[in-house]
Amino acid sequence: MHELSLAQNLISQVLNLAREHQAKKVLRVSVEIGPFSGVVVDSFRFGYEVLSQEHGETRGSVLEIREPEQSFRCFSCGHVFNGKKMGDPCPDCKEGTLVAWGGDDIILLSVEME
Amino acid sequence: MCESCGCQGQGSFKKEIGVIEVNQRLLAANDAQAEFNRHYIEKLGALSINLISSPGSGKTTLLEKTIDALAGELRIGVIEGDIETERDADRIRARGIPVVQLTTGGACHLDAHIVHKGIRTLETQLDRTGLDLLFIENVGNLVCPVSFKLGEHLRAVLLSVPEGSDKPAKYPKAFMTSQVFLITKTDLVPYFDFSMEEAEREATRLNPGLEKFRLSSVTGENFDAWVGYLRNLLKKYRNILKD
Repeated sequence: MHELSLAQNLISQVLNLAREHQAKKVLRVSVEIGPFSGVVVDSFRFGYEVLSQEHGETRGSVLEIREPEQSFRCFSCGHVFNGKKMGDPCPDCKEGTLVAWGGDDIILLSVEME
Repeated sequence: MCESCGCQGQGSFKKEIGVIEVNQRLLAANDAQAEFNRHYIEKLGALSINLISSPGSGKTTLLEKTIDALAGELRIGVIEGDIETERDADRIRARGIPVVQLTTGGACHLDAHIVHKGIRTLETQLDRTGLDLLFIENVGNLVCPVSFKLGEHLRAVLLSVPEGSDKPAKYPKAFMTSQVFLITKTDLVPYFDFSMEEAEREATRLNPGLEKFRLSSVTGENFDAWVGYLRNLLKKYRNILKD
């Protein structure tokens, strides 16, 4: 549900950039959505598609979304792993459990304009 | 700006455009406002707590009982977030506590900007001595409020017994980003298939550092522990602010 307000945030940042650089058209917007951000990627994309139609600069632009793999950090020894599950025992120290590590942000990576 | 004639870069000075690297978090503006709010709340001398849960988990009732337990001891202020109505604020106001109702008019969460307005309005109800605890009751929703920092020092997530003990596993982010986990309505355990152990185990799996309390606003079960925790935390917080 809050995907729409996040998409609105994205559009206003992109529009500010376009105005700052005196660009007439935004071609491509690249975003990274962290695996723990709690964002439903399809709803976010839908929000972008609807809202980008409202402005001449963003109309028809392509939204490119990168979704990095989840990573986990041992609560005890601090080592970071990929391809594991939350709450798994640490493969290294065998003592701690793995907790989500980073990746809860949505980051505007780049904007292509002309 | 052009160094020789001071023109603003139009015409032949036009900036080159193409791919602009940004690398900025989408919620950067909200987080900056949240940081500002936190400093503002610290100037009032208060420790702030953001309460998150689904609708009907007992956030307002928890507040009422917490206010009663600390009456005459700590100065409490409340910011209420709802989509519509003043009903929650009315319940708190009935206890003689400074309170502001924020109505989001449809939005499923509070954000740092609306909370800032709330703090400024609450301030007009305070005397010069300031506040000890500021509770911010978020819009009832276990998903959206989680992404928006408000300027709180502490985030508490509530789960009531009728909701079921599988909620931490189903709504992980609320439990991952909170520091306190409150199971509420524990007096209803005999009537529901709810396992405290499962709920706490799942929540701890997501966030091993969670503080946990099992509360009933009806019987008062464990309110001493909860209120004692708030007292201690406020003491620690005041010591840190002093340094």
